[in-house]
Amino acid sequence: MKRVLSLFFIAALGVLLLYVVASMPPMGDPQTPTATHVIPRYLERAEEETHTENVITGVILNYRGYDTMGEVTVIFCALAAVLAVLGRERRGRIRGFVDRSPVPSSTIVRTMVRFMVPFIILFSVYTILHGEISPGGGFQGGAIIGGSMIIFTTVFGLYESSRRIPQKVRAPLEGSAVIVFFLVGALGLVGGGNFLTYAWPHAARGLQPALVTWLTVLVEVGIGLGGAMVLISILFAMIREEEEIALTA
Amino acid sequence: MRLLHNYHYAAAMALFCIGLYTVIVRRNIIKKLIGLNIMETSVFFFYISLGYLDGGVAPIHAGSADPARMVNPIPQALILTGIVVALSVTALALSMVILLYRQYGTLDVDRLMREEEPAAEGAAGEGEGGA
Amino acid sequence: MGAWRHFPIFMITLPLLGAVLMPFLGYLRERWVPYAALLPLAASTLLGFLLVGRIPAGDHLSYHLGGWEPPFGIEIRVDHVGLFLMLVVCAITLLALVYSRRYIEKEVSPGRRTAYYVLYLLMSGAMLGFTATGDIFNLFVFMEILALSSYALVAITGNRNAVRAAFKYVLMGAPSSIMVLLAVGFLYSVTGTLNMADLASRIAESGYTEVLVVSYILFVIGFGVKAALFPLHMWLPDAHSIAPSPISALLSGLLVEVCAFALVRITFSVFTRSATDLVGGTADAVGVAAAAAVLYGGIMAITQKDLKVMIAYSTVSHIGYIFLGITAFTAEGLTGAMYHMLDHGLAKACLFLCAGNFIYLKGYRRIEELRGAWRQMPWTCFAFALASISVIGIPPTAGFISKWYLILGNIRAGKWLYTIVLLSGSILAAVYCLRIIYYMFFQAGKEEAWEDASRDVPPGMLVPVWALSLGTLFFGVFSYLLIPSLLKASAYLL
Repeated sequence: MKRVLSLFFIAALGVLLLYVVASMPPMGDPQTPTATHVIPRYLERAEEETHTENVITGVILNYRGYDTMGEVTVIFCALAAVLAVLGRERRGRIRGFVDRSPVPSSTIVRTMVRFMVPFIILFSVYTILHGEISPGGGFQGGAIIGGSMIIFTTVFGLYESSRRIPQKVRAPLEGSAVIVFFLVGALGLVGGGNFLTYAWPHAARGLQPALVTWLTVLVEVGIGLGGAMVLISILFAMIREEEEIALTA
Repeated sequence: MRLLHNYHYAAAMALFCIGLYTVIVRRNIIKKLIGLNIMETSVFFFYISLGYLDGGVAPIHAGSADPARMVNPIPQALILTGIVVALSVTALALSMVILLYRQYGTLDVDRLMREEEPAAEGAAGEGEGGA
Repeated sequence: MGAWRHFPIFMITLPLLGAVLMPFLGYLRERWVPYAALLPLAASTLLGFLLVGRIPAGDHLSYHLGGWEPPFGIEIRVDHVGLFLMLVVCAITLLALVYSRRYIEKEVSPGRRTAYYVLYLLMSGAMLGFTATGDIFNLFVFMEILALSSYALVAITGNRNAVRAAFKYVLMGAPSSIMVLLAVGFLYSVTGTLNMADLASRIAESGYTEVLVVSYILFVIGFGVKAALFPLHMWLPDAHSIAPSPISALLSGLLVEVCAFALVRITFSVFTRSATDLVGGTADAVGVAAAAAVLYGGIMAITQKDLKVMIAYSTVSHIGYIFLGITAFTAEGLTGAMYHMLDHGLAKACLFLCAGNFIYLKGYRRIEELRGAWRQMPWTCFAFALASISVIGIPPTAGFISKWYLILGNIRAGKWLYTIVLLSGSILAAVYCLRIIYYMFFQAGKEEAWEDASRDVPPGMLVPVWALSLGTLFFGVFSYLLIPSLLKASAYLL
């Protein structure tokens, strides 16, 4: 009964949505409202206004920087929420649990992972720092670091990986993205602009390009570090609970 | 016909409905979360398609890229935020699943919700016991 | 242009920054966290009060983040109605946080207490940002911070019923967020902008009627789930009754109102008067759902045995009131809805905190257990009675004023049926509230049920309760302080 009702509801919604699609502006057409209203200014002037060659990075960090500040708050919030639900591991190393997280793996896998992880992290540093001139940026780089730690933890176990990135390293860095954003925002006020103004009106005109570039890099690094640490902490919190299940089962 | 030309959008809407169906009808809570992610991904797909331009290039001022031919950067910037939000919701929901499985020993949503009565009485009993 | 232009952004970001700094403090001195968490909220409240009177009448404060003018950058847009709601949010979050310290010590395990304060601050900051933003995608971002923190706060005690209620909330809340995101995408696809004011002007001239109507429907469903509008309210009674009481107070007293306000913004600032014929049909459907909510919530509240569940169903009913005020499309109706957000926020927060007092002292959740509570907990019981009077809408309290304007607005709009629904909702409220007052004051309880309790709860928990209940009285007696400016601001929105 419930299934039939929900099928009916979803079918109605689907027909409605398809009807909308049929009356939407044609895709890929350069004359649609999306392509003609706000965009031309971004595409033409982003380079001189935000000093980033990658317009997307300019939009994310500069024109819509406040959204991104909300976004880094969302990831921090996710971490706080996961820790509120699952609880944080105790300070220092994790003891008292049977470490069942490592998946049985051959020597080849272990050697390769040990060999690859530093390079993956190096690549993420490149992604973070080159976000303004090529595809990439803080979030992507942070996700890559998180991914590298996921591989490492699956192969070597929670004990090994939490020894390499202990809680006292992660905890102060988890909020770094929000803090950096707040600082850059407040500095904009000091520089005579509004919150999150990168090109300070009070700064000398010649200094502004360098200023904007360095503030952008600062924010990217903050986002990258913060994002990576949040992902790693979430991973550790989840794996720890799995071990408890393994113990009680 | 516009619907055929906008087939990317149509596909996104179809995925959206499939995801919603999975969320509502499936009984396994992991599958419900997969459905949720299908819904999210369909909306991301919709946004990215919005930014598409026939014969467009990536919006990066490298070399001699022509601003007039660049695709729309806004949907991509928005969807970066959307992805992070989706990731956060999924992480939180999965950690709740871990806890639920530990406490109820089931992933079946009907059985989870059916345990309502004894559990509610248990809570009331605890209250009285504490007094 | 003075420094006060920067106040709204700091009202929003200070609680967020505070939330990020709390874990450090928790690491160093865990005992200080409950006190330190008060600082950012107190600062926000102060900044909010300093803003009062600065915004010229019939105008708004527009703050351009990063210095980019609106369609290109994000705008914070605070008009009188928005500032009013921001002040309500600040005041209630501050009071419930004062209340939290003792209550949380008892209900939440030590390892989770810091996380509680972190999430609490994130939620407060998100509500402020959500109210103030002038950008439709930014609205979504803050809605997500708000949603995530509230999911986790419902589950914070970690017991099985709480986690299950929170998961139910996630299963309804997350798809609704995605619907809002899709609706934003639809709007963007036909206008090419995300700024609310710019959207309003572009919607009027864009020809894509179908897309706009469906986008509005998706907004209504999305925010309807978050605001627990009648057929979409299923998560509310569980989540609001199982959460720790200060969180119930916040969820019931603020979160649903803020989400209803988002729909006000979408309806009046984005779709505007000129597009009313576009959204009129949907708004009528919302009106029907709201009328059903008033009656359904009231009847369900009467049948409940658990105090917090009863208060939660009363919230379902009162959300119906707010939506009936919005769908009247008159200045009086909108004023009534806004004033109802204030007095419902105060009264509902007070009721939940009182229920929390009973749980804190005796562990009593069921209504029958409150027989004769008056003798042991007179202060709590009197505050409860005062807040109940406001919920019913009896004259000296703010509840009367808001219901008066709601009814006036619906009469002006010629919606007589809804007027009758509003009046009968008050009768239902009288039934479920007076029943509890009867139990508390006029029935003798079992001797042993109350003998081992100390007299009433500590002052740290009584002061917020009394501040809230006196607030309902204050805004009832001195309604002339706010009503004229709200009427003007509502006319400006329309």
